[in-house]
Amino acid sequence: MNSEPSSGRRFTATKTGKVLAEATGLLRGPQRIVPLLVKLASDELHTGFAQRHLYSYASVTRPTPEALQDLVKWILDAQRADGGIAAYYSLLTGYSESYPEVTGYIIPTLYDYALATGDQRARAAAERATSWLLSLQLPSGAFPGGLHGASAAPSVFNTGQILQGLVRAHVETRSAEILRCATAAGDWLAQTQQPDGAWSGPGAYQEVAHTYYSMVSWALAQLAANSADSPYASAAERNIDWVLTNAKPSGWIDGINLQGHPAYLHFIAYVIQGVLECGILRHRENAIRAAGKAAWVLLRRFETHKFLFGTYGPDFKGGLRFTCLTGNAQMSCVWLRLFEVTGDLRYLNAALKMNEMLKQLMPTRGRRGVVGGVAGSSPIWGAYQPLRYISWGCKFFADALLLEQRLMHQVEVEFETRSASQVEGRVEVS
Amino acid sequence: MRVAILCSSPYSETGCAAAARLSQLGYAPVGALTLPSWDRGTLTRKLGQWGLRESLRYAGSKLAPGKSTGGKQVRNPYLESALRHGEKVFRNLAEVASAHKFPIFTSGDQNSPRAIAQLKQWTPDLIVFTGGDILRRELLAVPRLGVLNAHLALLPQIRGMSSPEWSLMRGVPLGITIHFIDSGIDTGPVLLRRELSGVDQSQSWTDLRNRMIAEGIELIGEAVTGLDRGTLAAIPQADGDKDNQFFVMHERLKSIAARRLSQSRGVLVDAKSHG
Repeated sequence: MNSEPSSGRRFTATKTGKVLAEATGLLRGPQRIVPLLVKLASDELHTGFAQRHLYSYASVTRPTPEALQDLVKWILDAQRADGGIAAYYSLLTGYSESYPEVTGYIIPTLYDYALATGDQRARAAAERATSWLLSLQLPSGAFPGGLHGASAAPSVFNTGQILQGLVRAHVETRSAEILRCATAAGDWLAQTQQPDGAWSGPGAYQEVAHTYYSMVSWALAQLAANSADSPYASAAERNIDWVLTNAKPSGWIDGINLQGHPAYLHFIAYVIQGVLECGILRHRENAIRAAGKAAWVLLRRFETHKFLFGTYGPDFKGGLRFTCLTGNAQMSCVWLRLFEVTGDLRYLNAALKMNEMLKQLMPTRGRRGVVGGVAGSSPIWGAYQPLRYISWGCKFFADALLLEQRLMHQVEVEFETRSASQVEGRVEVS
Repeated sequence: MRVAILCSSPYSETGCAAAARLSQLGYAPVGALTLPSWDRGTLTRKLGQWGLRESLRYAGSKLAPGKSTGGKQVRNPYLESALRHGEKVFRNLAEVASAHKFPIFTSGDQNSPRAIAQLKQWTPDLIVFTGGDILRRELLAVPRLGVLNAHLALLPQIRGMSSPEWSLMRGVPLGITIHFIDSGIDTGPVLLRRELSGVDQSQSWTDLRNRMIAEGIELIGEAVTGLDRGTLAAIPQADGDKDNQFFVMHERLKSIAARRLSQSRGVLVDAKSHG
């Protein structure tokens, strides 16, 4: 689903069945037919007439707080009665079941939004999501993969992503119960890690090692930072060491290893984001440098063509010509964090433009599940999560806008402070 | 010295001023290759760069007579001395070409085989680029000496787009560089490099940019003269390994750059008032 498409060989075998099953959703919900046709027509027009040039996305077309509010409203609307967040809203079948993995890593976004705006609904939603997740934890400390109820098999990646939410929930609530669950998840991850630092075998997707599990390392590094326990930190660093052995001179970090699927930008961005964030938390210059190198390649592509492919081959070659909106939002987050680390305004500049592009592709009108949503692909029939608005797309775009707000505020304050001191300095000299 | 000019439009003031200034210096172009005034690419680029309102205002300024310059409006007042020809002010390339007797060739793509064939016919020693497409290798190989560009920042520190704004934001002095164009973005050998004086006297970003464009045309004149007389030699850029390319600046950062500029004017006023 989100990070891990349904498993390997079965994917091809069941793909037709899934498409048919989704299409019959229109029979159960004929009210969805018109919005579907409208969206298909508008994306066809947009694809035909969109003009991109060097000046594209350099102007503000929609205020950031307004777009952010719509995104969070989409997430709150997608919260199911059980407290979990739906994976997606399909134009064919409506909302999906709750999705534990995404519910986990949406929690920090909801808390960040609540802190930034004072919106207590977001905080309450984060608390409900946490309660639901705690009820799903397996005795081993792991969390199951897939949609709610689909599988009871423990999943490394989902456990890592959920751990992000638990760590943040503990920071916000100081609940001993949440900390106990988080450390149990962390212990399970540390125990199942291979000696080389990778995760492979039964808990890993397709049972092979993946570099995008750098996101799991990030979660472990967060747990280490909040529990002062070095085993989590060393597990995170061992994985990052392994991931960095896959870094190529071009900046590409190999080893996404999704058999039967292309390397969507979403996964490429996961690799970079995990390496970067873990590098920042663990003060690992080599990790930050590797993430920066990959991010810079994509920044140049975006700035030159105002477009990133939906997929890339090794060394950023080739790719499918559609937009993976989630991957774009993640790259915005990466660029903003790199600006924070390096002070290079080109990262901030690119992220501002990327956010403008994403804002322009957000529906401002339509039914619940559509308005304020982030589609899997643009056009909506692109290869990644076609005909769906996906909760993790909203999460990453909300993260990007929250970061944008915070960093632009800092830049403004720094400018004002520097200007004031310059005035004083010059006055003294004169 | 046989000099050809590349322009982004027959109404490009920068292109007209460069052609006129070179003519004043005794280097009347052997020909001007221009993009059409209203092709789709130019229109899209201008709309993206200026927005609809400003693009319409610009188009209007080219069609309607103004008041300030005796019948003809000049968008960039610093170019007026280059554009003035007796009692007249050149409004477009056709007027400059008519006065200085050089041909104009219009092409929707400066790199097209037709455009390159035309340039070859003019057998230029030098081409002066004042706007248009990214130039391909075939075109760059046409002139004996190369293709000159006036870049609105000091090279090699600031390459690429929005260069005055990036200079200000990065704390690099504002300036102009005259360089030969090569296959990279502003990476070619440098002929002249000059810091801009009196930045704090500029009224606005537009005013500052206008000054820089006019200064760039003056420097192009100096460069052509220097090359002709053999008193000027190009020097390869240092920092070739560094990625100093910058891209179009987002308006939110531009507004900070503009405030930084206005702050520098405020500093001057404050300093004087305390003196």
